Amino acid sequence: MLEAVRYFFLRALRNMRQWPFLCSAAILTMAVSLATIATFFLIVVNIEQLASRWTQEIQVIAYLQRAPSAQELPTLINKMEQLEGVEKVAYVSPQAAMERFRERLGEDAALLQGVRPDLLPASFELGLVAEYRSQKGIEVIIEQLESLIAIDDLRYGQTWLERFNNFVSMLRFVGAFVGGFLLFATLFIVANTIRLTLYARRDELEIMALVGATMRFIKIPFMLEGAIQGFVGGLLSLLFLSASFSLIISKSLNAFWLTPADFDLLFLTAAQQLFLVLAGVVLGVLGSLSSLRRFVRI
Amino acid sequence: MIQLYNVSKRYSRDSIAVNDLSLKIDKGEFVYVTGASGAGKTTFLRMLYVAERPTRGQILVAGQNITRIRSQHIPYLRRKIGVVFQDFKLLQSRSVYENVAFALEAQGKKRFEVSKKVYQALKEVGLEHRLQRKPQELSGGEQQRIAIARALVVDPLILLADEPSGNLDQGVTLEIMELFKRANARGTTVLLATHDYNLHERFPRRVITLDAGKLVGDQRPLGTVGPE
Repeated sequence: MLEAVRYFFLRALRNMRQWPFLCSAAILTMAVSLATIATFFLIVVNIEQLASRWTQEIQVIAYLQRAPSAQELPTLINKMEQLEGVEKVAYVSPQAAMERFRERLGEDAALLQGVRPDLLPASFELGLVAEYRSQKGIEVIIEQLESLIAIDDLRYGQTWLERFNNFVSMLRFVGAFVGGFLLFATLFIVANTIRLTLYARRDELEIMALVGATMRFIKIPFMLEGAIQGFVGGLLSLLFLSASFSLIISKSLNAFWLTPADFDLLFLTAAQQLFLVLAGVVLGVLGSLSSLRRFVRI
Repeated sequence: MIQLYNVSKRYSRDSIAVNDLSLKIDKGEFVYVTGASGAGKTTFLRMLYVAERPTRGQILVAGQNITRIRSQHIPYLRRKIGVVFQDFKLLQSRSVYENVAFALEAQGKKRFEVSKKVYQALKEVGLEHRLQRKPQELSGGEQQRIAIARALVVDPLILLADEPSGNLDQGVTLEIMELFKRANARGTTVLLATHDYNLHERFPRRVITLDAGKLVGDQRPLGTVGPE
Protein backbone atom coordinates (compact mmCIF):
# COMPACT_ATOMS: atom_id res chain seq x y z
CA MET A 1 0.00 0.00 0.00
CA LEU A 2 2.72 2.43 1.11
CA GLU A 3 4.81 1.30 -1.82
CA ALA A 4 1.91 2.08 -4.19
CA VAL A 5 1.33 5.53 -2.70
CA ARG A 6 5.03 6.28 -3.00
CA TYR A 7 5.07 5.05 -6.57
CA PHE A 8 2.04 7.12 -7.61
CA PHE A 9 3.46 10.19 -5.97
CA LEU A 10 6.86 9.77 -7.59
CA ARG A 11 5.27 9.21 -10.96
CA ALA A 12 3.14 12.32 -10.64
CA LEU A 13 6.23 14.36 -9.74
CA ARG A 14 8.28 12.81 -12.51
CA ASN A 15 5.56 13.53 -15.05
CA MET A 16 5.52 17.16 -14.01
CA ARG A 17 9.30 17.34 -14.26
CA GLN A 18 9.23 15.79 -17.69
CA TRP A 19 6.67 18.24 -18.99
CA PRO A 20 7.63 21.49 -17.28
CA PHE A 21 5.88 23.67 -19.84
CA LEU A 22 2.56 21.83 -19.71
CA CYS A 23 2.76 21.66 -15.95
CA SER A 24 3.38 25.38 -15.51
CA ALA A 25 0.66 26.20 -18.03
CA ALA A 26 -1.84 24.22 -15.97
CA ILE A 27 -0.66 25.77 -12.70
CA LEU A 28 -0.73 29.32 -14.06
CA THR A 29 -4.16 28.86 -15.60
CA MET A 30 -5.53 27.70 -12.28
CA ALA A 31 -3.73 30.45 -10.36
CA VAL A 32 -5.05 33.19 -12.63
CA SER A 33 -8.57 31.74 -12.65
CA LEU A 34 -8.71 31.35 -8.89
CA ALA A 35 -7.23 34.81 -8.32
CA THR A 36 -9.84 36.32 -10.65
CA ILE A 37 -12.70 34.69 -8.77
CA ALA A 38 -11.22 35.58 -5.39
CA THR A 39 -10.66 39.20 -6.45
CA PHE A 40 -14.22 39.44 -7.56
CA PHE A 41 -15.38 37.89 -4.30
CA LEU A 42 -13.34 40.46 -2.35
CA ILE A 43 -14.82 43.32 -4.34
CA VAL A 44 -18.36 42.18 -3.60
CA VAL A 45 -17.61 41.50 0.07
CA ASN A 46 -15.99 44.89 0.53
CA ILE A 47 -18.77 46.80 -1.15
CA GLU A 48 -21.26 45.01 1.07
CA GLN A 49 -19.15 45.74 4.10
CA LEU A 50 -18.91 49.39 3.15
CA ALA A 51 -22.63 49.53 2.53
CA SER A 52 -23.45 47.92 5.85
CA ARG A 53 -21.39 50.64 7.55
CA TRP A 54 -23.68 53.25 6.11
CA THR A 55 -26.61 51.51 7.73
CA GLN A 56 -24.94 51.83 11.13
CA GLU A 57 -25.98 55.41 11.05
CA ILE A 58 -29.60 54.54 10.50
CA GLN A 59 -31.72 55.60 13.41
CA VAL A 60 -35.39 56.32 13.97
CA ILE A 61 -36.22 59.76 15.28
CA ALA A 62 -39.69 60.08 16.73
CA TYR A 63 -40.93 63.64 17.27
CA LEU A 64 -43.47 63.71 20.06
CA GLN A 65 -46.74 65.57 20.17
CA ARG A 66 -45.91 66.69 23.68
CA ALA A 67 -42.84 66.42 25.82
CA PRO A 68 -43.18 63.79 28.60
CA SER A 69 -42.95 64.96 32.19
CA ALA A 70 -39.86 64.27 34.28
CA GLN A 71 -41.81 61.52 36.14
CA GLU A 72 -42.93 59.77 32.94
CA LEU A 73 -39.57 59.88 31.26
CA PRO A 74 -37.60 57.05 33.01
CA THR A 75 -40.41 54.48 32.60
CA LEU A 76 -40.91 55.55 28.99
CA ILE A 77 -37.22 55.15 28.18
CA ASN A 78 -37.21 51.84 29.99
CA LYS A 79 -40.19 50.60 27.96
CA MET A 80 -38.62 51.73 24.70
CA GLU A 81 -35.41 49.96 25.50
CA GLN A 82 -37.44 46.78 25.90
CA LEU A 83 -38.84 47.11 22.36
CA GLU A 84 -37.86 44.48 19.83
CA GLY A 85 -34.98 45.68 17.63
CA VAL A 86 -34.09 48.75 19.70
CA GLU A 87 -30.47 48.97 20.77
CA LYS A 88 -30.36 52.28 22.59
CA VAL A 89 -32.68 55.13 23.32
CA ALA A 90 -31.77 58.79 23.68
CA TYR A 91 -34.23 61.43 24.75
CA VAL A 92 -33.80 64.92 23.29
CA SER A 93 -35.75 67.51 25.24
CA PRO A 94 -36.96 70.69 23.51
CA GLN A 95 -34.23 72.58 25.33
CA ALA A 96 -31.54 70.15 24.23
CA ALA A 97 -32.83 70.33 20.66
CA MET A 98 -32.59 74.09 20.78
CA GLU A 99 -29.07 73.85 22.15
CA ARG A 100 -28.07 71.59 19.22
CA PHE A 101 -29.66 73.95 16.80
CA ARG A 102 -27.77 76.83 18.32
CA GLU A 103 -24.50 74.93 17.96
CA ARG A 104 -25.17 74.20 14.34
CA LEU A 105 -25.92 77.75 13.54
CA GLY A 106 -22.52 78.67 15.00
CA GLU A 107 -21.89 82.34 14.36
CA ASP A 108 -25.49 82.88 13.34
CA ALA A 109 -26.77 81.70 16.73
CA ALA A 110 -27.74 85.27 17.49
CA LEU A 111 -30.75 84.70 15.24
CA LEU A 112 -32.27 82.55 17.97
CA GLN A 113 -32.34 85.35 20.52
CA GLY A 114 -35.81 85.85 21.83
CA VAL A 115 -37.06 82.48 20.54
CA ARG A 116 -38.84 80.36 23.16
CA PRO A 117 -36.48 77.56 24.32
CA ASP A 118 -39.32 74.97 24.13
CA LEU A 119 -40.28 75.82 20.57
CA LEU A 120 -38.81 72.66 19.12
CA PRO A 121 -40.58 69.33 19.74
CA ALA A 122 -39.17 66.74 22.12
CA SER A 123 -37.93 63.58 20.42
CA PHE A 124 -36.58 60.10 20.98
CA GLU A 125 -33.60 58.87 18.96
CA LEU A 126 -33.61 55.12 18.66
CA GLY A 127 -30.46 53.21 17.72
CA LEU A 128 -31.28 49.91 16.02
CA VAL A 129 -30.00 46.38 16.35
CA ALA A 130 -28.09 45.48 13.13
CA GLU A 131 -30.78 43.09 11.83
CA TYR A 132 -33.44 45.80 12.10
CA ARG A 133 -31.58 48.36 9.98
CA SER A 134 -33.85 47.79 7.03
CA GLN A 135 -37.20 48.92 5.72
CA LYS A 136 -38.98 45.93 7.24
CA GLY A 137 -37.20 46.13 10.57
CA ILE A 138 -38.00 49.80 10.92
CA GLU A 139 -41.66 49.15 10.18
CA VAL A 140 -41.77 46.65 13.06
CA ILE A 141 -40.25 49.20 15.41
CA ILE A 142 -42.54 52.02 14.35
CA GLU A 143 -45.59 49.86 14.93
CA GLN A 144 -44.51 49.13 18.49
CA LEU A 145 -43.56 52.74 19.06
CA GLU A 146 -46.92 54.09 17.99
CA SER A 147 -48.73 51.91 20.49
CA LEU A 148 -46.52 53.30 23.24
CA ILE A 149 -46.66 57.05 22.74
CA ALA A 150 -48.33 59.78 20.66
CA ILE A 151 -46.04 60.62 17.78
CA ASP A 152 -46.14 63.72 15.68
CA ASP A 153 -43.63 62.79 13.01
CA LEU A 154 -41.01 60.14 12.17
CA ARG A 155 -37.68 60.43 10.38
CA TYR A 156 -35.54 57.52 9.32
CA GLY A 157 -34.25 58.35 5.84
CA GLN A 158 -37.09 56.58 4.00
CA THR A 159 -36.05 57.31 0.42
CA TRP A 160 -32.40 56.68 1.16
CA LEU A 161 -33.19 53.33 2.72
CA GLU A 162 -35.25 52.30 -0.25
CA ARG A 163 -32.44 53.14 -2.66
CA PHE A 164 -29.96 51.41 -0.46
CA ASN A 165 -32.06 48.25 -0.43
CA ASN A 166 -32.25 48.29 -4.21
CA PHE A 167 -28.53 48.79 -4.43
CA VAL A 168 -27.75 45.85 -2.14
CA SER A 169 -30.10 43.49 -3.91
CA MET A 170 -28.66 44.52 -7.27
CA LEU A 171 -25.14 44.03 -5.96
CA ARG A 172 -26.04 40.53 -4.82
CA PHE A 173 -27.68 39.70 -8.10
CA VAL A 174 -24.79 40.99 -10.20
CA GLY A 175 -22.38 39.28 -7.80
CA ALA A 176 -24.07 35.92 -8.16
CA PHE A 177 -24.38 36.30 -11.93
CA VAL A 178 -20.81 37.40 -12.64
CA GLY A 179 -19.44 35.00 -10.00
CA GLY A 180 -21.31 32.10 -11.56
CA PHE A 181 -20.09 33.10 -14.99
CA LEU A 182 -16.48 33.32 -13.78
CA LEU A 183 -16.75 29.96 -12.09
CA PHE A 184 -18.04 28.37 -15.26
CA ALA A 185 -15.31 30.00 -17.35
CA THR A 186 -12.68 28.82 -14.87
CA LEU A 187 -13.90 25.24 -14.95
CA PHE A 188 -13.95 25.33 -18.73
CA ILE A 189 -10.46 26.81 -19.09
CA VAL A 190 -8.88 24.55 -16.49
CA ALA A 191 -10.48 21.40 -17.91
CA ASN A 192 -9.29 22.35 -21.38
CA THR A 193 -5.76 23.13 -20.28
CA ILE A 194 -5.53 19.79 -18.54
CA ARG A 195 -7.02 18.14 -21.59
CA LEU A 196 -4.23 19.64 -23.69
CA THR A 197 -1.60 18.35 -21.28
CA LEU A 198 -3.15 14.89 -21.46
CA TYR A 199 -3.42 15.08 -25.23
CA ALA A 200 0.32 15.61 -25.39
CA ARG A 201 0.71 12.45 -23.36
CA ARG A 202 -1.87 10.25 -25.03
CA ASP A 203 0.87 7.83 -26.16
CA GLU A 204 1.74 7.21 -22.57
CA LEU A 205 -1.90 6.57 -21.70
CA GLU A 206 -2.25 4.22 -24.65
CA ILE A 207 0.88 2.26 -23.77
CA MET A 208 -0.17 1.98 -20.14
CA ALA A 209 -3.47 0.46 -21.18
CA LEU A 210 -1.62 -1.83 -23.57
CA VAL A 211 0.70 -3.32 -20.97
CA GLY A 212 -2.19 -4.20 -18.69
CA ALA A 213 -2.42 -1.23 -16.36
CA THR A 214 -5.78 -0.99 -14.61
CA MET A 215 -7.94 2.14 -14.88
CA ARG A 216 -7.04 3.01 -11.31
CA PHE A 217 -3.34 2.65 -11.97
CA ILE A 218 -3.55 4.93 -15.00
CA LYS A 219 -5.76 7.54 -13.41
CA ILE A 220 -4.36 7.97 -9.92
CA PRO A 221 -1.02 9.61 -10.87
CA PHE A 222 -2.79 12.02 -13.21
CA MET A 223 -5.33 12.93 -10.58
CA LEU A 224 -2.55 13.35 -8.07
CA GLU A 225 -0.77 15.55 -10.55
CA GLY A 226 -3.95 17.61 -10.97
CA ALA A 227 -4.23 17.89 -7.19
CA ILE A 228 -0.61 19.02 -6.81
CA GLN A 229 -0.96 21.52 -9.64
CA GLY A 230 -4.22 22.79 -8.16
CA PHE A 231 -2.60 23.13 -4.75
CA VAL A 232 0.32 25.10 -6.15
CA GLY A 233 -2.05 27.13 -8.32
CA GLY A 234 -4.19 27.91 -5.26
CA LEU A 235 -1.15 28.97 -3.24
CA LEU A 236 0.11 31.13 -6.11
CA SER A 237 -3.24 32.85 -6.48
CA LEU A 238 -3.28 33.52 -2.73
CA LEU A 239 0.22 34.92 -2.87
CA PHE A 240 -0.63 37.09 -5.85
CA LEU A 241 -3.81 38.26 -4.21
CA SER A 242 -2.27 39.20 -0.88
CA ALA A 243 0.68 40.91 -2.55
CA SER A 244 -1.50 42.96 -4.86
CA PHE A 245 -3.90 43.65 -2.02
CA SER A 246 -1.36 44.99 0.44
CA LEU A 247 0.82 46.74 -2.12
CA ILE A 248 -1.66 48.27 -4.48
CA ILE A 249 -5.34 48.04 -3.81
CA SER A 250 -5.72 49.08 -0.20
CA LYS A 251 -3.24 51.94 -0.54
CA SER A 252 -4.62 53.36 -3.73
CA LEU A 253 -8.22 53.09 -2.57
CA ASN A 254 -7.41 54.90 0.63
CA ALA A 255 -5.46 57.51 -1.29
CA PHE A 256 -8.42 58.18 -3.53
CA TRP A 257 -10.68 58.74 -0.46
CA LEU A 258 -12.89 55.97 -1.74
CA THR A 259 -13.16 54.48 1.70
CA PRO A 260 -13.92 56.13 5.04
CA ALA A 261 -10.84 56.95 7.11
CA ASP A 262 -11.36 54.23 9.70
CA PHE A 263 -12.47 51.61 7.23
CA ASP A 264 -10.15 48.66 6.73
CA LEU A 265 -10.62 46.75 3.52
CA LEU A 266 -11.50 43.14 4.14
CA PHE A 267 -9.14 40.41 2.93
CA LEU A 268 -9.93 36.71 2.84
CA THR A 269 -10.31 35.16 6.26
CA ALA A 270 -8.09 32.20 7.17
CA ALA A 271 -10.93 29.83 6.39
CA GLN A 272 -11.53 31.47 3.02
CA GLN A 273 -7.82 31.27 2.19
CA LEU A 274 -7.84 27.58 3.00
CA PHE A 275 -10.97 27.23 0.89
CA LEU A 276 -9.23 28.92 -2.05
CA VAL A 277 -6.32 26.47 -1.94
CA LEU A 278 -8.67 23.50 -1.52
CA ALA A 279 -10.74 24.79 -4.42
CA GLY A 280 -7.54 24.62 -6.48
CA VAL A 281 -7.03 21.00 -5.47
CA VAL A 282 -10.62 20.08 -6.29
CA LEU A 283 -10.40 21.96 -9.58
CA GLY A 284 -7.21 20.08 -10.52
CA VAL A 285 -8.63 16.68 -9.66
CA LEU A 286 -11.94 17.28 -11.42
CA GLY A 287 -10.20 18.75 -14.45
CA SER A 288 -7.96 15.70 -14.74
CA LEU A 289 -10.80 13.29 -14.15
CA SER A 290 -13.08 14.81 -16.78
CA SER A 291 -10.31 14.82 -19.38
CA LEU A 292 -9.00 11.36 -18.54
CA ARG A 293 -12.40 9.97 -19.33
CA ARG A 294 -11.83 11.03 -22.93
CA PHE A 295 -8.33 9.72 -23.36
CA VAL A 296 -8.24 6.52 -21.38
CA ARG A 297 -10.11 3.80 -23.08
CA ILE A 298 -9.28 0.27 -22.23
CA MET B 1 -4.28 -21.18 -26.54
CA ILE B 2 -6.25 -19.15 -29.10
CA GLN B 3 -9.54 -20.21 -30.66
CA LEU B 4 -11.74 -18.24 -33.03
CA TYR B 5 -15.22 -19.34 -34.04
CA ASN B 6 -16.85 -17.58 -37.01
CA VAL B 7 -15.40 -14.25 -36.01
CA SER B 8 -16.31 -11.18 -38.05
CA LYS B 9 -15.41 -7.57 -37.51
CA ARG B 10 -17.36 -4.95 -39.39
CA TYR B 11 -16.55 -1.25 -39.10
CA SER B 12 -19.48 -0.10 -41.19
CA ARG B 13 -22.01 -1.58 -43.62
CA ASP B 14 -19.57 -1.96 -46.46
CA SER B 15 -16.28 -2.18 -44.57
CA ILE B 16 -15.56 -5.62 -43.22
CA ALA B 17 -12.09 -6.20 -41.77
CA VAL B 18 -12.41 -9.82 -40.68
CA ASN B 19 -14.95 -12.13 -42.26
CA ASP B 20 -16.11 -15.36 -40.65
CA LEU B 21 -12.72 -16.41 -39.36
CA SER B 22 -12.37 -19.73 -37.53
CA LEU B 23 -9.05 -21.11 -36.41
CA LYS B 24 -7.18 -22.67 -33.55
CA ILE B 25 -3.66 -21.95 -32.37
CA ASP B 26 -2.13 -24.27 -29.80
CA LYS B 27 0.06 -23.42 -26.86
CA GLY B 28 3.67 -22.91 -27.88
CA GLU B 29 2.99 -22.50 -31.59
CA PHE B 30 4.79 -19.98 -33.79
CA VAL B 31 2.44 -18.66 -36.44
CA TYR B 32 2.91 -16.17 -39.25
CA VAL B 33 -0.16 -14.15 -40.17
CA THR B 34 0.23 -12.96 -43.74
CA GLY B 35 -1.76 -11.21 -46.38
CA ALA B 36 -1.69 -8.00 -48.39
CA SER B 37 -2.21 -4.65 -46.71
CA GLY B 38 -5.83 -4.37 -45.60
CA ALA B 39 -6.26 -8.14 -45.46
CA GLY B 40 -7.29 -7.91 -41.78
CA LYS B 41 -4.03 -8.95 -40.07
CA THR B 42 -3.94 -6.00 -37.71
CA THR B 43 -7.64 -6.23 -36.84
CA PHE B 44 -7.20 -9.93 -36.12
CA LEU B 45 -4.35 -9.22 -33.69
CA ARG B 46 -6.16 -6.25 -32.15
CA MET B 47 -9.15 -8.44 -31.36
CA LEU B 48 -6.88 -10.83 -29.47
CA TYR B 49 -5.84 -8.16 -26.97
CA VAL B 50 -9.31 -6.58 -27.03
CA ALA B 51 -8.38 -3.30 -28.65
CA GLU B 52 -11.29 -4.23 -30.90
CA ARG B 53 -14.30 -6.36 -30.20
CA PRO B 54 -15.68 -8.74 -32.81
CA THR B 55 -19.02 -7.93 -34.36
CA ARG B 56 -19.88 -11.62 -34.50
CA GLY B 57 -18.42 -14.92 -33.35
CA GLN B 58 -16.51 -16.04 -30.27
CA ILE B 59 -12.86 -15.69 -29.31
CA LEU B 60 -11.14 -17.73 -26.60
CA VAL B 61 -7.71 -16.73 -25.32
CA ALA B 62 -5.90 -18.80 -22.71
CA GLY B 63 -9.13 -20.60 -21.89
CA GLN B 64 -11.09 -17.37 -21.38
CA ASN B 65 -13.92 -16.23 -23.61
CA ILE B 66 -12.95 -12.65 -24.35
CA THR B 67 -15.81 -11.85 -26.72
CA ARG B 68 -17.80 -10.06 -24.06
CA ILE B 69 -15.10 -9.56 -21.49
CA ARG B 70 -15.90 -6.72 -19.08
CA SER B 71 -13.63 -3.73 -19.46
CA GLN B 72 -12.32 -3.97 -15.91
CA HIS B 73 -11.03 -7.47 -16.69
CA ILE B 74 -9.18 -6.45 -19.85
CA PRO B 75 -5.98 -5.30 -18.04
CA TYR B 76 -5.62 -8.76 -16.49
CA LEU B 77 -5.94 -10.42 -19.90
CA ARG B 78 -3.36 -8.04 -21.38
CA ARG B 79 -0.85 -9.00 -18.73
CA LYS B 80 -0.73 -12.43 -20.33
CA ILE B 81 -0.09 -10.94 -23.77
CA GLY B 82 2.96 -9.06 -25.02
CA VAL B 83 2.46 -6.82 -28.05
CA VAL B 84 5.11 -5.48 -30.45
CA PHE B 85 4.34 -2.87 -33.10
CA GLN B 86 5.92 -1.66 -36.29
CA ASP B 87 6.31 1.85 -34.82
CA PHE B 88 7.67 0.50 -31.49
CA LYS B 89 5.34 2.64 -29.33
CA LEU B 90 8.04 3.63 -26.86
CA LEU B 91 7.87 6.60 -24.54
CA GLN B 92 10.45 8.94 -26.02
CA SER B 93 10.72 11.01 -22.88
CA ARG B 94 11.63 7.98 -20.74
CA SER B 95 14.86 6.08 -20.51
CA VAL B 96 15.28 2.57 -21.89
CA TYR B 97 15.07 1.19 -18.36
CA GLU B 98 11.87 3.10 -17.60
CA ASN B 99 10.24 1.97 -20.82
CA VAL B 100 10.72 -1.67 -19.96
CA ALA B 101 10.00 -1.21 -16.25
CA PHE B 102 6.70 0.42 -17.15
CA ALA B 103 5.12 -2.90 -18.06
CA LEU B 104 6.01 -4.41 -14.68
CA GLU B 105 5.09 -1.31 -12.69
CA ALA B 106 1.70 -1.30 -14.38
CA GLN B 107 1.17 -4.76 -12.89
CA GLY B 108 2.07 -3.48 -9.45
CA LYS B 109 5.32 -5.45 -9.13
CA LYS B 110 7.72 -4.62 -6.28
CA ARG B 111 10.69 -2.38 -7.02
CA PHE B 112 13.47 -4.92 -6.49
CA GLU B 113 11.64 -7.40 -8.66
CA VAL B 114 11.21 -4.77 -11.36
CA SER B 115 14.88 -3.85 -11.53
CA LYS B 116 15.98 -7.47 -11.60
CA LYS B 117 13.59 -8.46 -14.37
CA VAL B 118 14.21 -5.36 -16.46
CA TYR B 119 17.93 -5.99 -16.40
CA GLN B 120 17.41 -9.61 -17.43
CA ALA B 121 15.04 -8.66 -20.24
CA LEU B 122 17.43 -6.03 -21.59
CA LYS B 123 20.29 -8.44 -21.37
CA GLU B 124 18.24 -10.93 -23.34
CA VAL B 125 17.90 -8.42 -26.20
CA GLY B 126 21.49 -7.26 -25.80
CA LEU B 127 20.81 -3.72 -24.62
CA GLU B 128 21.72 -3.93 -20.94
CA HIS B 129 24.46 -1.35 -21.52
CA ARG B 130 21.93 1.24 -22.77
CA LEU B 131 19.80 1.44 -19.65
CA GLN B 132 19.86 5.20 -19.20
CA ARG B 133 19.64 6.21 -22.86
CA LYS B 134 16.51 7.71 -24.37
CA PRO B 135 14.93 5.70 -27.23
CA GLN B 136 15.51 8.46 -29.78
CA GLU B 137 19.25 8.19 -29.21
CA LEU B 138 19.13 4.59 -30.43
CA SER B 139 18.76 3.02 -33.87
CA GLY B 140 15.45 1.64 -35.14
CA GLY B 141 16.60 -1.93 -34.55
CA GLU B 142 17.61 -1.12 -30.98
CA GLN B 143 14.30 0.59 -30.34
CA GLN B 144 12.44 -2.46 -31.57
CA ARG B 145 14.53 -4.63 -29.26
CA ILE B 146 13.49 -2.44 -26.33
CA ALA B 147 9.87 -2.87 -27.36
CA ILE B 148 10.41 -6.63 -27.49
CA ALA B 149 12.05 -6.55 -24.06
CA ARG B 150 9.01 -4.65 -22.76
CA ALA B 151 6.69 -7.27 -24.24
CA LEU B 152 8.70 -10.20 -22.88
CA VAL B 153 9.61 -8.86 -19.45
CA VAL B 154 6.22 -9.92 -18.10
CA ASP B 155 6.69 -13.53 -19.27
CA PRO B 156 3.61 -13.45 -21.50
CA LEU B 157 1.74 -16.56 -22.58
CA ILE B 158 1.28 -15.02 -26.01
CA LEU B 159 3.42 -12.62 -28.01
CA LEU B 160 1.70 -10.65 -30.75
CA ALA B 161 3.88 -8.80 -33.24
CA ASP B 162 2.37 -6.57 -35.91
CA GLU B 163 4.88 -6.05 -38.73
CA PRO B 164 7.71 -5.76 -36.22
CA SER B 165 10.37 -5.54 -38.91
CA GLY B 166 8.41 -3.33 -41.30
CA ASN B 167 10.77 -0.41 -40.82
CA LEU B 168 13.98 -2.35 -40.36
CA ASP B 169 16.67 -3.68 -42.66
CA GLN B 170 17.31 -7.35 -43.30
CA GLY B 171 20.14 -7.80 -40.78
CA VAL B 172 18.14 -6.30 -37.93
CA THR B 173 15.08 -8.31 -38.95
CA LEU B 174 17.06 -11.52 -38.52
CA GLU B 175 18.21 -10.45 -35.06
CA ILE B 176 14.64 -9.75 -34.07
CA MET B 177 13.42 -13.06 -35.45
CA GLU B 178 16.04 -14.71 -33.28
CA LEU B 179 14.48 -13.05 -30.22
CA PHE B 180 11.02 -14.27 -31.19
CA LYS B 181 12.31 -17.78 -31.73
CA ARG B 182 13.95 -17.81 -28.32
CA ALA B 183 10.77 -16.60 -26.65
CA ASN B 184 8.88 -19.32 -28.52
CA ALA B 185 11.40 -21.92 -27.41
CA ARG B 186 10.65 -20.93 -23.79
CA GLY B 187 6.99 -21.76 -24.40
CA THR B 188 5.48 -18.44 -25.44
CA THR B 189 2.94 -18.70 -28.25
CA VAL B 190 4.02 -16.28 -30.98
CA LEU B 191 1.82 -14.67 -33.65
CA LEU B 192 3.72 -12.58 -36.14
CA ALA B 193 1.89 -10.52 -38.74
CA THR B 194 4.07 -9.80 -41.73
CA HIS B 195 4.05 -9.62 -45.49
CA ASP B 196 7.76 -10.37 -45.70
CA TYR B 197 7.77 -13.74 -47.51
CA ASN B 198 11.52 -14.09 -47.01
CA LEU B 199 10.87 -14.65 -43.35
CA HIS B 200 8.74 -17.77 -43.76
CA GLU B 201 11.24 -19.16 -46.16
CA ARG B 202 14.13 -18.59 -43.82
CA PHE B 203 12.29 -19.67 -40.66
CA PRO B 204 9.55 -22.00 -41.83
CA ARG B 205 6.59 -22.10 -39.44
CA ARG B 206 2.82 -22.34 -39.71
CA VAL B 207 1.46 -19.63 -42.03
CA ILE B 208 -2.08 -18.28 -41.84
CA THR B 209 -3.04 -16.22 -44.88
CA LEU B 210 -5.84 -13.68 -44.87
CA ASP B 211 -7.41 -12.00 -47.84
CA ALA B 212 -10.12 -9.38 -47.51
CA GLY B 213 -10.68 -10.60 -43.96
CA LYS B 214 -11.16 -14.23 -44.95
CA LEU B 215 -8.90 -17.14 -44.10
CA VAL B 216 -7.54 -18.31 -47.45
CA GLY B 217 -4.61 -20.42 -46.34
CA ASP B 218 -3.34 -22.31 -43.33
CA GLN B 219 -0.12 -24.17 -44.08
CA ARG B 220 2.30 -25.94 -41.82
CA PRO B 221 5.87 -26.51 -42.96
CA LEU B 222 6.50 -29.94 -44.37
CA GLY B 223 7.22 -32.58 -41.81
CA THR B 224 5.44 -30.89 -38.92
CA VAL B 225 2.02 -31.64 -37.56
CA GLY B 226 0.54 -29.31 -35.04
CA PRO B 227 2.70 -27.43 -32.60
CA GLU B 228 6.40 -28.03 -32.45
